[in-house]
Amino acid sequence: MTKTEYDRGRRRFVKVVGAAGVAGLAGPRLAGAARASETVWDESYDIVIIGSGFAGLAAGIEARQKGVENVAIFEKMPYFGGNSAINGGLFAAPGTPLQAQEGIEDSVDNMVADQLQAGRGVAYEHLLRHIASNAADALKMCEDAGAQFHPYLQQLGGHSVPRTYQTTVNCGAGITQPLYRKCKQLSVVTRNRCRFEKFIQDDAGRVVGVKLATRYYYDREVSEGETINVKAERGVLVATGGFSQNIALRSAQDPTLTAEVTSTNAPGATGEAMLEMFRLGAVPVHLAYIQSGPWASPDEGGFGYVSNYSIYNFPHSVAINRATGRRFMNEIADRKTRADAELANRDEQGKPLPPILVTGYSEAVNHPSAKKVLKYGVGWKFDDLESLAREFEVPLEPLKAQIAEYNGYVREGEDKQFGKSMEMAKGKLVEPPFMVVRLWPKVHYCQGGVEINVKAEVIDSTSGRAIPGLYAAGEVTGGVHGVSRLGSCSIPECLVMGISAARTLAGGAA
Amino acid sequence: MKANSRKLGIAGVALVGVAVSALLFGTYANGELQEYDGIDGRSYHAEMHDKGRCRSCHGVKDPEGYPADDACLLCHEIEELVAATQPQAEEDRWQNPHDNLHYGEDVPCVECHGEHSNKAPLCANCHNFDYSAHEY
Repeated sequence: MTKTEYDRGRRRFVKVVGAAGVAGLAGPRLAGAARASETVWDESYDIVIIGSGFAGLAAGIEARQKGVENVAIFEKMPYFGGNSAINGGLFAAPGTPLQAQEGIEDSVDNMVADQLQAGRGVAYEHLLRHIASNAADALKMCEDAGAQFHPYLQQLGGHSVPRTYQTTVNCGAGITQPLYRKCKQLSVVTRNRCRFEKFIQDDAGRVVGVKLATRYYYDREVSEGETINVKAERGVLVATGGFSQNIALRSAQDPTLTAEVTSTNAPGATGEAMLEMFRLGAVPVHLAYIQSGPWASPDEGGFGYVSNYSIYNFPHSVAINRATGRRFMNEIADRKTRADAELANRDEQGKPLPPILVTGYSEAVNHPSAKKVLKYGVGWKFDDLESLAREFEVPLEPLKAQIAEYNGYVREGEDKQFGKSMEMAKGKLVEPPFMVVRLWPKVHYCQGGVEINVKAEVIDSTSGRAIPGLYAAGEVTGGVHGVSRLGSCSIPECLVMGISAARTLAGGAA
Repeated sequence: MKANSRKLGIAGVALVGVAVSALLFGTYANGELQEYDGIDGRSYHAEMHDKGRCRSCHGVKDPEGYPADDACLLCHEIEELVAATQPQAEEDRWQNPHDNLHYGEDVPCVECHGEHSNKAPLCANCHNFDYSAHEY
């Protein structure tokens, strides 16, 4: 059949001929994967990548650089980058040039040890070790593609040394955009609005392709194009991210994560490709370990501006329960501890009463997003505690007493209330004028997913062996981080495992 | 651009629109929804709606779905759109909706612009930017 398609590269409509309609009109949906023997192929590539976040883009680049000819990335959303394009752009790696420059001693062992501790005993050490060992190379791939990083390191919660880079734009898009451009330069085919439907297997059970619904509009949940069968000569890499935006699925794993808790994630993070991998027999790992970000704001959607602002300001700020005027947590405890404490902030009817983060304005404005936070009405400046208390209906006297008490801890260097490390609060009193944001946790990251090995092969739950032709990388995989992922450890994971998958598919060592 | 447009029979009025779009961008983006011949449409595309020129954007006479992602770019030049919405302040340089931090120039027009209905801009998922003309 002939149809008219818009050719983005040439910016004009072109007539294309294909057999697309034939298989797309197949009758009743098959229960599991479709069979190759019944399939009419519409397109064929050496490697088919599902998802265009860090993992998918890195895999595309690495595959081409390893000499694989035909590589295609299919993205469900209208635009490329997935959730990676809207995160904080924080990248942890040991043994980097900046660590050398700053004289920081670090090692793969150190980074893995920090992550194992946060993983609370169930993180996969072999994967962590593989990722930490290759993280500096992944960083170099980003820099080679044009990603720019701040000329300093940060030390995030749970990390024993400063090892975290951040893009100059304070966002993962500072990596996805350069990687996406690099993919285009390397002639990686990139196609938007293609929703993964199911895998296609040959009679021996090897994954040989995928069925994709084209011209997909996620907001209306309709596909206006044909369903196409895309052949993957070497294999299919699933790099589709987590399922934070799938409320039914996430609350089935963790019943506290109802619709009342929103998410930092892109709307496409709904997990259907992960579920299809389970249908093929992939091992489900740690699905209930879903992390909420305690630094998010209820006054904006997603990650917004406040998240990075809060991450920076928590060490020298107080989080206040608006009903009591008192602190209720260690502001730099791990993510889960803080998220749980925030969710307990309720009014008399049990409705959410988002706590406030109060910071001395002179410190708060040092964060690059502070101006935006004020400009877009997601944070506010107050000259005194009286006006602040009036605005948020906080009892004034307890609030005054709390701030005075906390400032005492700042001076003494010891938090007698919650045991917060006051090292980074040294000399940073919470004093007028004040800056305030509201806090409410948002579902941020799914530690669980399918089991993979260091070659990014997906493991079969019955045989314990790799499912032929099927690979996965990034948040869609499980086990790497255990119970709780440390901040800035997802980007290296996604990139390294995407690269590893590409190397496996290209025929080299992982 | 123009050769291709003529090939597809795009209305000349749209080309005029391109010429003045940079100048009148504010007005252009704020075009009101009005009813034309049974369908709501933007006032700046009145000529197309009045004369039932669905094909101009949808490529077919009686469309059942959305136009191709880049249909708007048959008449509108991306470079001009980028220039027209480039923020003045350096600190806002990444907030150009037509060349933004997260997705560059690649967000399909229909993700932010509703030709037949009001539409929230994509950035409203996470940010409180002021695009009040979108009336969502």
